[in-house]
Amino acid sequence: MAASTSTETKSASWWKYFFLYDGSKVKEEGDPTRAGICYFYPSQTLLDRQELLCGQIAGVVHCISDISGSPPTLMRLQKLKFAIKVDGDYLWVLGCALELSDIRCQQFLDQLMGFFNFYNGPVSLAYKNCSQEDLSAEWDTFIEQILKNTSDLHKIFTSLWNLDRTKVEPLLLLKAALILQTCQRAAHVLAGCILYKGLIVSTQLPPSLTAKVLLHGAARRHQRRPAGGDARQERGAVLPPNVHIMPVFVTEEEAISLREFPREHMASSPASPARLQERSAPPPPKGWSPSALKEDTSRREEAEAWTWATTPESRSPDAAWPSGSGENGHVSDRDLESIQPAELHDTARDQGPELCCSLVKEPGLPRGNKDLDLSEIHIPEAPETGTSSGSFALSNVYVPDGSGPSHRESVSNSGHLEPKPPEALPVGTAVGDLLSASAPAVLTQNGALEQHEDLPGDSSQAPVPGEGLLPRRKSRTMSLPHLDSRQRGTKLSVGEEGTEPRVDGVHESCSAPSPECHPGSADPSDDGPSADSADSRVTPASWGELVRMNLYTHSVKGLVLSLLAEEPLLGDRAAIEEVYHSSLASLNGLEVHLKETLPKDEATSSTRTYNFMHYDRSQNVLMANLPRVATPQDRRFLQAASLMHSDFAQLPSLYEMTLRNASTAVYACCNPIQETYFQQLASASRTSGFPNPQDSAFSLPGKAKQKLLKHGVNLL
Amino acid sequence: MKCVLVATEGAEVLFYWTDEEFEESLRLKFGPEDDGKELPALEDQLSTLLAPVIISSMTMLEKLSDTYTCFSTENGNYLYALHRFRECLFIAINGDHTEDEGDLRQKLRVLQFLFEVHFGLVTVDSQLLRKELRPPDLEQRVRVWEHFQGLLLTYSRLREQEQCFAVEAVERLIHPQCCKLCIEALERHVVQAVNSSPARAGEEALHAFLLVHSKLLAFYSSHSASSLRPADLLALILLVQHLYPSKSAAEEEDDDSQPSPRRPCGSQSIALRQDWSPGSSGPARSSARTETDSFSLPEEYFTPAPSPGEQSSGSGSTVWLDGETLPADASSIQIGEDTLQMLISDSPAPSCPRRIFLEANVKESYCPMVPHTMYCLPLWPGINMVLLTKAPSTTLALVLCQLLDGFSQLEAKLKEGQEARSSLRSHPLVGDLRQRMDKFVKNRGGQEIQSTWQEFKTKAFSRSEPASSGELLQLCRKVKRQLCALYRLSFLSAAPGLGGPQLPQHLQDRVQMLMQEKLMDWKDYVLVKSRRNTTLMKYPETPLTCTYLEDFPGLVHFIYVDRTTGQMVAPSLSSSEGTSSELGKGPLAAFIRTKVWALIRLARRYLKKGYTTLLFREGDFYCSYFLWFQDEMGYKLRITEVPVLSDDSPPVGMLGGDHYRKLLRDYSKDHPAEAVRCQELLALHLSVIPTDVLVQQAGELARRLWEESRVPLL
Repeated sequence: MAASTSTETKSASWWKYFFLYDGSKVKEEGDPTRAGICYFYPSQTLLDRQELLCGQIAGVVHCISDISGSPPTLMRLQKLKFAIKVDGDYLWVLGCALELSDIRCQQFLDQLMGFFNFYNGPVSLAYKNCSQEDLSAEWDTFIEQILKNTSDLHKIFTSLWNLDRTKVEPLLLLKAALILQTCQRAAHVLAGCILYKGLIVSTQLPPSLTAKVLLHGAARRHQRRPAGGDARQERGAVLPPNVHIMPVFVTEEEAISLREFPREHMASSPASPARLQERSAPPPPKGWSPSALKEDTSRREEAEAWTWATTPESRSPDAAWPSGSGENGHVSDRDLESIQPAELHDTARDQGPELCCSLVKEPGLPRGNKDLDLSEIHIPEAPETGTSSGSFALSNVYVPDGSGPSHRESVSNSGHLEPKPPEALPVGTAVGDLLSASAPAVLTQNGALEQHEDLPGDSSQAPVPGEGLLPRRKSRTMSLPHLDSRQRGTKLSVGEEGTEPRVDGVHESCSAPSPECHPGSADPSDDGPSADSADSRVTPASWGELVRMNLYTHSVKGLVLSLLAEEPLLGDRAAIEEVYHSSLASLNGLEVHLKETLPKDEATSSTRTYNFMHYDRSQNVLMANLPRVATPQDRRFLQAASLMHSDFAQLPSLYEMTLRNASTAVYACCNPIQETYFQQLASASRTSGFPNPQDSAFSLPGKAKQKLLKHGVNLL
Repeated sequence: MKCVLVATEGAEVLFYWTDEEFEESLRLKFGPEDDGKELPALEDQLSTLLAPVIISSMTMLEKLSDTYTCFSTENGNYLYALHRFRECLFIAINGDHTEDEGDLRQKLRVLQFLFEVHFGLVTVDSQLLRKELRPPDLEQRVRVWEHFQGLLLTYSRLREQEQCFAVEAVERLIHPQCCKLCIEALERHVVQAVNSSPARAGEEALHAFLLVHSKLLAFYSSHSASSLRPADLLALILLVQHLYPSKSAAEEEDDDSQPSPRRPCGSQSIALRQDWSPGSSGPARSSARTETDSFSLPEEYFTPAPSPGEQSSGSGSTVWLDGETLPADASSIQIGEDTLQMLISDSPAPSCPRRIFLEANVKESYCPMVPHTMYCLPLWPGINMVLLTKAPSTTLALVLCQLLDGFSQLEAKLKEGQEARSSLRSHPLVGDLRQRMDKFVKNRGGQEIQSTWQEFKTKAFSRSEPASSGELLQLCRKVKRQLCALYRLSFLSAAPGLGGPQLPQHLQDRVQMLMQEKLMDWKDYVLVKSRRNTTLMKYPETPLTCTYLEDFPGLVHFIYVDRTTGQMVAPSLSSSEGTSSELGKGPLAAFIRTKVWALIRLARRYLKKGYTTLLFREGDFYCSYFLWFQDEMGYKLRITEVPVLSDDSPPVGMLGGDHYRKLLRDYSKDHPAEAVRCQELLALHLSVIPTDVLVQQAGELARRLWEESRVPLL
């Protein structure tokens, strides 16, 4: 993703300054201001200028805090504006050009702080543990990434860098979503996202977290030393290829929203406390070299101990596993929205609930079904070979019947093609075996997908059966406890034989009460043992308001799978293996398809007759048809949108707006979750500005409703 | 939680105003260590608190050539707007969400405009301005500050309550017959009467107008006068409203933080009043009172209000009427007045007559700040006559103005380039300036200015000892300061209230009485009319059966503004308790008001960003705004791009930088042959109305209002 540093980013005229200033270092009369400057962008700024800005702004911030009781968050000058955040002794300041709206300027600062905290933890801790140079280099890459990826549209909307969904085959998006769901079933894994060349393909994470994960490439490139410890780098050696796991820090709220999934997991775990114990201290699996592991864990413990020393454990079990039971409906809804292309939206929603019900009735089945997903994502396995043509050949393996053995084969095939740790096998086997139970059901599905893969560019046929089926599958996974798979994962790591865990897992899933039937089972007494039995690895570390987690990333060329997991993941080899193998083949396939489908657009923009932007406020996803290089008319559109976006944010009862000046007219409307902007590109006949019903500006709402339908935007 | 502060670069307070809450918050900050020590004065507290900001603002300007314009804290809980004017920093603070940045900025600009109206070109030199705003004598200082505090308060009240101040345009009372009568009276019995009087002491009456509350009833300008700018007229209305607040103002008077000069003076002036009122007007006056009673607060609260400002003239009038006092006595009374004002610190600064500075053409050439004398003659409560005269010395003002302008340009040149000095001699501007300055110094100049000018000439023009630009800059500033000082000496130190030339009191009284006689039959009518000027139920001058409501179903409210004349028409929207508009009283009327004010705010914001049409749906209403240009015949002209301004630029309006005048000037540049008019329409509709119907209605409404506005009145 962050493979090349483009030179154009250096000329970002709208991003003027950014600095982090530590006021505690400049207390005495004689202390030079420069002592407090932790980081300053651009670094070539004269030191005098740096000191001037830091000193003056810090002084004024102090003064305003005195008068107002709270520090300023925004400071505007004649030629630039500063977003300001005060964090104890630290002062974060971002200076932007005036054309950026106040709100956006503050959001950029929040984003930047979020990035830093995510990868480095609290700033005081980070600067205590890492050298200023290292962190500065990291800042540089963060900023560079932001600048590189911030288009004109991003200067208006806090939108994620997502793939233009209108240009991607919807099935691919679904496939990505399914990969994520599969991974979610592995132990410790909470949620994740899939990125392609730095753009989001699919995400389960809340927007703020997705944004942070997006920067992962940049963070990693810098050989960064996370605040949590330094054992990680070595660990990379024993991790599967192209996989990295690093500790990250999420905010309390983010942690809560992430853990809404595993709530169920914990609820049923008291039934098998012993297992939990096991999970917290996983014995080395068969294939691993014991010495390597030992070193590993010991280092890890060192790191852990250090963290705990600095931060007294303050989390209660309740905080660690925030109450979030019975959230299934909510979660699945949101998730659906996040991963589904607009067109499929309705179908999925309609079918979701009904399927949930049926699943509740048969607790045993869903497992099989979920594994079907797995098999399905296995399809595009070919990329392992490294050539795109291979995918078709190999995918044929599944066509016949999708039975267990063939799956196993396929996994081992991939093993041949690319050197892989032998430990991969047991897991693969187990999964394959599990699959066989309900394999027939996949057939049609597979067929449909097959078809699609044969004609990657042609979506006219394939999606039809797929559309009906895939969302259903998704909602199923969502509504059903992932805990079975998790525990299976755990067990796989514990018991070394492939067969035993499988039996166990099935048994468990049948006997354990389905969380949907017993939402109340998550009472405190249930939580008690799990918290007790869990040592520091199970209960994530927290520092201030930040919660430690692990970020698992697996990159397949341009494609990156990022998963946020509870901290124990790092020590849980089996879980890692499971995640790796359950997703590897699918990722490869997805990568190939994305590579094939993506570059073929770009040429369509010349025939635009209108501009539009459609912004999803809750997911921070933006859809637009603006060209890369803005024409004057486009710029007028952007200016108008920027103004209106600010007003929509500030005036909740405002929901439709038409603007006109001499050269253009722009229409916008919004509701609590979406904002839509529309501009007609036909050269506006010049009017007088006098109220005239014939003025084209007033026909914009009708035009917008009509034209945007085909983009899946319904304004009716 | 509001505060306004004007400070020098050295954080010396030149003016401040705070509301009670802010004062309280300061007390809490400085209070805690209450160990018998007395709290520092409010101005010192403010200067202590804000000094870092003021000084940092200077530092930034010096080193970064950029400076702060705005701060806001979390959720906009506190908002600070900063505005630099010459070497002074204006700061407005709001901590209660009642004002947005635009409002604060507007307030600061209005304050600056008021300074200019009061001090004219003295504002060019910040040291001299400091002398005016911060006189060394404490009592005098308190008086000056109270005057401006009162003006600010009046302005805030008017902006919140009166549509004409919300959109910054003059609202007229439309009644052709009455207007005609008034204009004739103003012409014959006021302007001509004054100008033909031998006692006028060189003063020449230029304009006379009648105000009913804040609305304009009639306006007359003498033939020799250049036209009065709408922004200036609005500022004069503000001054009159400050001197003689309308009833609705009284409601707000219970703000104790604002020292109210009116109450203490009240009882005293009632006595004066009764002496003064001619017997004949007695019954009429009481009827006026019963009339006004139905609208607002008890009369005794209000009635005294007109008097204090009148103290100088009013008490004088008593004397003149009762006993044929000799002029010598009159002057002694004048002196007595002055000392009285010194003693009663909370009486307003000598207000009537008052020296003001308005834009005008003098001998065909434009001059931004020509000294005028304003006589505000109250006729009845709520009805005031204003007479503007100019002193014979206006030519001096013109010369000084031109010279100052020249030196300012020179200063800018010197600042921008080092090499400028070499070409100084050959520069046409400099040659011209040198000639005029030589002439001026020869005719008028005192010793000091002569020597400074001589020094400047030798430094600037001699070949032998060339001076550095820095040195020249200093000298240039020195010359400017001395010119300003001369201006101050001529027009401020000898202001009418301070013993300068003014119309003799008897002339003022005669004019006042004549006008009262002429208007006697109308006064009750116009007082009511001023409250219900235009209503949605009835067109101003058309049969009752035809109403806006019938013709424009769904229309809730509108404001129509002709920016060329600076006048507006809108249905009355009264918020005061006692008055009922057709929207009724209480919550509904208040709700519509907030909608209208929000529309004004948003329309301004978008106009500032270059959008001339705005249509939006908020809640159950459609709000629309249109700006267009047309010629004298009503033919609509094509719209052009209007400039896009930054957030810290002067707000859209007339009082704080005349935005519309700039628009008109820009437009006229492209259309030199046409007489261009700039019009605005703001409308509020129910949201059930389809937009095409709404736009159609707006067009029809605008056409109709345009036709009506052509009834010649002025």
